[in-house]
Amino acid sequence: MIYFDNSATTAVLPASAEAARRYMTDIYFNPAAAYSPAVAADRDVLAAKGRLAHTMNVEASELIFTAGGTESNNTAIFGSLAARRGTGRVIISAVEHPSVTEPAASLSERGYDVVTVGVDASGAVRLDELKSLLTPDTLLVSIMHVNNEVGSINDIAAIYAAMRKQSPSSLLHVDGVQAFMKEPSVPCDMYSISGHKLHAPKGIGALYVKSGVRIKPYLMGGGQEGGMRSGTTNVPGIMGLDAAVADYAAHISEYHANTRAVKMRLYSNLSRLRDVRLNGPAADAGAAHILNMSFLGVRGEVLLNALSERGLCVSTGSACAAHKKGKNRILTAMGITGDRQEGAIRFSFCPFNTVSEADTAAQIIEDQLLILRRFRRR
Amino acid sequence: MEWVLLVRYGEIHLKGLNRPYFERALVDNIRRALGSLGGKITRGTGRMIVTGIGESDLSAACDRLSRVFGIHSISPAVAADKAWDNVVRHAAELMNKLVVDGQEHSFKVFARRSDKTYFINSEGIGRELGHEMLERFPSLHVDLHKPEIKLCVEIRDRAYIYCTEIPGSKGMPTGTAGRAALLLSGGIDSPVAGYMMAKRGLSLIAVHFYSYPYTSERARDKVVELTRLVSCYAGEIRLFLVPFTDIQMTIYEKCPPKETTILMRRLMMKIAERIAASEGAMALITGESLGQVASQTLESLVVTDNAVSMPVFRPLIGFDKEDITAMARNIGTFETSILPYEDCCTVFVPKHPVTKPVLSDLIASEASTDFSGMMDKAIADTELMVIG
Repeated sequence: MIYFDNSATTAVLPASAEAARRYMTDIYFNPAAAYSPAVAADRDVLAAKGRLAHTMNVEASELIFTAGGTESNNTAIFGSLAARRGTGRVIISAVEHPSVTEPAASLSERGYDVVTVGVDASGAVRLDELKSLLTPDTLLVSIMHVNNEVGSINDIAAIYAAMRKQSPSSLLHVDGVQAFMKEPSVPCDMYSISGHKLHAPKGIGALYVKSGVRIKPYLMGGGQEGGMRSGTTNVPGIMGLDAAVADYAAHISEYHANTRAVKMRLYSNLSRLRDVRLNGPAADAGAAHILNMSFLGVRGEVLLNALSERGLCVSTGSACAAHKKGKNRILTAMGITGDRQEGAIRFSFCPFNTVSEADTAAQIIEDQLLILRRFRRR
Repeated sequence: MEWVLLVRYGEIHLKGLNRPYFERALVDNIRRALGSLGGKITRGTGRMIVTGIGESDLSAACDRLSRVFGIHSISPAVAADKAWDNVVRHAAELMNKLVVDGQEHSFKVFARRSDKTYFINSEGIGRELGHEMLERFPSLHVDLHKPEIKLCVEIRDRAYIYCTEIPGSKGMPTGTAGRAALLLSGGIDSPVAGYMMAKRGLSLIAVHFYSYPYTSERARDKVVELTRLVSCYAGEIRLFLVPFTDIQMTIYEKCPPKETTILMRRLMMKIAERIAASEGAMALITGESLGQVASQTLESLVVTDNAVSMPVFRPLIGFDKEDITAMARNIGTFETSILPYEDCCTVFVPKHPVTKPVLSDLIASEASTDFSGMMDKAIADTELMVIG
């Protein structure tokens, strides 16, 4: 099997799985308990948080462990607004993940002035348009760092600078789920990360909340995470995340180079084929791990099924949208419609994919295109 | 208090000398539907009485029975000795559960006496029991036309007292009208068509065509789930999954593009007919509705019908999409039907299918290629799942 759907989730690294296992079967204690093995577990969690903070170039006190990207995004959006009085403007981009668009829709129902900033043909937020939308009453801007479907990278530093100038009291939340450990860190007020996108287990994530930014918790209970996120500490998840991040940090340039090489190889193989289009930024400009291409004259889902039978796992878009019918929201926002939208496939890579997998994948795709295009609508 | 279920049957009571045949089938279907809830079923006149169901299982049992065809309605009832004091006591207990403190209620007693030796007639029971209730519950008043509470008493071998009547699915007991094969696509219409024919007493087998590997595992799971949902009404369904890719690809390569859809339909009917025959089914059922799509024009239906000799039942032929959708929602198949997976009919479709096919042209196209070997292979590779 060739697995090119790493933006949906990744295989857990053996070191990460082992760390998680150790804290499930050996050091299983509730870190809030008083006896010494529990205190030791608590210290391990704190140390892990310290290492994660160091990697993110922030303070440990600025991190909240969560259950993953969706919880981080919800906490950032609802939590930061709940801590402020009144309503006002909230800006999101047209290509955000559902865990941002759905909270935004709910805010809109509660009287917030939710506006959407468009993206250019590459899927990146239009900075000029964003500037025109920033008002003195803007409370929150939520923009993703790397788009999960096409790999476009937003200029977060420029967005933050514009906000500081035009709406000094607004907060910037960045959904960094597809960017953490893959792109350099960016200035912002809140940043979401998720473990299972970088070879840690599912069910663990974190939210960075800049010191001084107030958040109202919405999970209340035992007061874990400094009262910001109640619930028994997910020690195995945290230690699994810690191990995965440590592995990434130790190999960061090698991992980037590998991922990029696989992407460029698949891109160059596929771009030689007839009626193939690249969606998103230029292959060497976008995120190293995401490639979105359209195969004209075939339907993405049919091609995906055919590739799956040959052992190649890819997706037609976000896994979180795979059960919904209708147009692809992201590609539509980028101005990609019709045949090109219908035939779009997302490939997403991890550092452990190989160039030879890219070659095999390209061959499988070429074979299937030959078959399917014989049956294109006449 | 001993609770029983009074099960009234609908159309069966119109039957003459063969009524016991339908009653026995209904008893079997009721027993199957109750399954693990158990219970003993006794046949009475125009009714069946289910005893031995625990009070906590009553609502689950009613829910299951409401999906059994042939049942007009169901009432959970208190069964008691028919001594008058006893009847009054149980009626009062039941009424006590319905009367809300501080609120006025209207009521009426509905009495029926099949034990003609009982000391008082139906009218008398109504009058006397009404009087007893008025004495005990000052907040009650009688309304003979639109009562809020209908207190029903039936005097048979015992007294049965109840206040609710849950509508059944009506129709005829599944299995009493023979067996037919449902062509099940995964869309909105075919599960509804299967439901409607099962309601007329047919037992069903289902035939589904898929285009592996171009249709997904999820599309297949969806069809299995739809079959399960229909089986909640229709009882056990044998589902035949027919691999159709080779035939589709051959049609596309060898035959004129505009004819592909209708040729596909004809070959599907032929395969379904052969599976039906081998399963003892005597008819085919489809979810077609006149004019809905190109393959459902009158001309197309004539051409597809011609492919088989079995009768083809199309219960939705005169229904609008809106009506069909409403029925699908009602029977609980809609949400599954609209899951967005490609099915074999959408994987390879021409841009402009013929809407007025000419039979002789299609027969000629079909004859130009030897499909019989491919159909044999598709049937040989067909997978059977027993659902429900």
